[in-house]
Amino acid sequence: MTYSSLLFIYGFLPVSLVIYWITPLKLKNISLLILSMIFCIMNSLRFLEFIVIYTLINYLTGILIDRFRSRKLIQSVMLFTGIIADTIIFLMFRTDFLDIFRDRLKIPDVFFPVGVSFLTLTAISYITDIYRNCIRAEYDIIKFSLYMMMFPAIIMRPVIRYNTFRRMLNDRKITVTEIGNGLAIFVKGLTEKVIAGDTMYMLYMAVRSVDIWEMSAVNAWLGMIAYILSLYFTLAGMADMGKGIGYCFGFRFPNSFNYPIFSNSIRDFYSNWHIQVIYWFRRYILKPMYEVCGNRIYRKIIFVIAWCCIGMWYRFDINGFVWGGVIGLTLVSEKYIRQLKILKITGIIYTYLVTIIFMVFLSGENIHYSVNYLLAMLGGNGIFADSLTLYLLKYYLVLLLICTYCATGLFRNMVMRSGKNYIKYAIEIISPVVTLLMLVICTALISYTGSSELYIIRL
Amino acid sequence: MKISEISGKITAFIILTILIAGFIFTLTGKKDDFSLKENRNLATFPEISFSALTDGSYGKQLNQYITDHFFRREKWVSAQADINSYTGGKIINGVYMDSNRLLDTEVSSREISKKNIEAVNKFFGNYIGTAYFTAIPTTSGIYGDKLPEYLMTNPERNQIDFLYDNLTDGIRTIDTYNILRMLSDNYIYYRNDTRLTSYGAYYVYKTVIQKLGFRPSSYDKYTINHITSDFRGNLYNRCLYNGTKSDILDIYSYSVGAEVTSCTAYCNNGMTYRKTLNDEKFLESGDMYRMYLGTEEPFIRIKTSVNNEKKLLLIKDSYADCFIQFLIQHYSEIAVISPEHMEKPLSSFINPDNYEQTLFLFGIESMDNENLFDFINK
Repeated sequence: MTYSSLLFIYGFLPVSLVIYWITPLKLKNISLLILSMIFCIMNSLRFLEFIVIYTLINYLTGILIDRFRSRKLIQSVMLFTGIIADTIIFLMFRTDFLDIFRDRLKIPDVFFPVGVSFLTLTAISYITDIYRNCIRAEYDIIKFSLYMMMFPAIIMRPVIRYNTFRRMLNDRKITVTEIGNGLAIFVKGLTEKVIAGDTMYMLYMAVRSVDIWEMSAVNAWLGMIAYILSLYFTLAGMADMGKGIGYCFGFRFPNSFNYPIFSNSIRDFYSNWHIQVIYWFRRYILKPMYEVCGNRIYRKIIFVIAWCCIGMWYRFDINGFVWGGVIGLTLVSEKYIRQLKILKITGIIYTYLVTIIFMVFLSGENIHYSVNYLLAMLGGNGIFADSLTLYLLKYYLVLLLICTYCATGLFRNMVMRSGKNYIKYAIEIISPVVTLLMLVICTALISYTGSSELYIIRL
Repeated sequence: MKISEISGKITAFIILTILIAGFIFTLTGKKDDFSLKENRNLATFPEISFSALTDGSYGKQLNQYITDHFFRREKWVSAQADINSYTGGKIINGVYMDSNRLLDTEVSSREISKKNIEAVNKFFGNYIGTAYFTAIPTTSGIYGDKLPEYLMTNPERNQIDFLYDNLTDGIRTIDTYNILRMLSDNYIYYRNDTRLTSYGAYYVYKTVIQKLGFRPSSYDKYTINHITSDFRGNLYNRCLYNGTKSDILDIYSYSVGAEVTSCTAYCNNGMTYRKTLNDEKFLESGDMYRMYLGTEEPFIRIKTSVNNEKKLLLIKDSYADCFIQFLIQHYSEIAVISPEHMEKPLSSFINPDNYEQTLFLFGIESMDNENLFDFINK
């Protein structure tokens, strides 16, 4: 079961909301935990087993690290073991090398949309924070289980640190307005996933259906634009859906994306892209390594390596490594050109082009394909456009432009900067209507298959 | 109270009402077992089992159940088709919505099964009469130029050629592609189905019967009855798109010619019963096309008042259903075998050698079902 399925929207969500609201305050945590467990079972009993074991491992590791606070060596060993265990589990799902394990444990494919990769980041951040004395270990198993497996956050969760979560958990308030906002965010996420994400995925697949040697340059560009939009809308949509559901339960999760697609520089792009994930790598990979090493040149190398890790987190193979690497290198060299005045005007175009070109590495099956795709984009096949181009433009251009506009955040900026009250009033008045309309359209769009399960990336 | 609060409250009220109403109506709504419009069985409530819970199929089954019995499901699915036809997606569940007809887009992924070809060749090897094979293109084969080019990497023309090239030389192949392509401006294919209309079947008949050694009956000798103009076929079932016109089902009768004297169906369990060639009670069902030949059975024996002692063995799929009405004028007996419905070997129904001619007539789309001819030789 994912958020974008009829079973969830018209079954699990309303039922669980009602159950949660009528539960007395003292039992709210337990009821949320039980609901989350049912959610896991709906994916597979195996998944529940997995996540319970995973939670227990980290729960115990946390307590042990806390207990041995005075003995640094044992504590370090504990932390190290915990991180290794978490990483091995992460690798088990992300690489084919450890397929045997997966088969031996008879783990079904449904695991993938549930964001095991995010779970790993969450767990590692928890035990590391205890080690660094940022937080005390959580002894309340229910609270900790909620941190790990709460269903509003379980799919492509915002990776939040435990102290932030604890704050949310302890002072959560549910008001009708908050629920309304939450449901609006949920529907926004649903729209992003079902309308924008899936349509752009179709466009990308249409481009990909042609043999790489016969791909025309325009098609190749269209394909990559569709890919980056689909990736953005799928990830942002899933995150928004989770965030919206979180609001209905009183959790105010942060935004995962802040309209990155049209930024002035690559640095801006990646500071608005998957904010918590990038922040995690900065905090738990980059910072400790910087502390050890003061040399500027080495620091730059470390920076690039950290980006390679981010790339590997998105895609655990050489493609992910290269993708992260080129972004890291660009970010390092961007420092020297950021002062240029011309970038103020052309920054958006430069960022857009560069990010699209880099996506070639994230999207291709292997590095060979990615390079060929890049050549096709540069016109290496000697075809500028073909009949497919016309077809794609005819059917997808309008949607492509709408999606692009929605990805820019221009609308939000217009509202925020106008300062005129009547615009704000108008938007507040039409927002319930728009939300309703979008919910109806999305329901219609998933009514045949029952869910929208196209995932352009498995995290 | 600030306007944003009011707006939030209204949103909460509206969306929650919709979600809860959707839940309650879906739960309490009438649960049909069968969808007439989609012509398929709907999911039943899944039983909880340990294995289904473990491999994750339980959640999927439950979602399928909710989906199949969702409040006003058919309206929603039609709405999906409408939305897509406006926004340009144009393809739903593998069906392309052109302005005046629906087309199957999964043509190119079709693979002509080698197993089928071998089975037909083997059948011919053991057979003493003359065998003929004709493969009928689907709508996407004839009107494929309306589909975007990237979907047509493996056109049906090539699939038919591949099939014919791999059949043993003794089997006489009959090409119908060119004649149908030539007539493509006429109403030879349904707009909402992959199959031929009776009019299209007449032209197939005209080509085929000459090869079988007869003179075709001329078109104007037939009386044509329009049975219904509300037919929506297998492509409609997949997308419920109402933007195309519904189709007409015709019955061609030859008033001065021979008649069917008996028509007997033989079931897999050994039962036999009498049936009529066309059965209008199926117009009330989800699959109006069944009006031709009625319920599908592995073997139907048709005897006619023709006195020429000529017997034909027709091995076919549903593409032949509206074609049979034209054969009555030429054979005293026609044995109709549907391999896709056979559960026991051919020899338990008939001995092929009693028929001097065997005609294989299939839509090319059936040829990728590799279990099609499992019982033809055993």
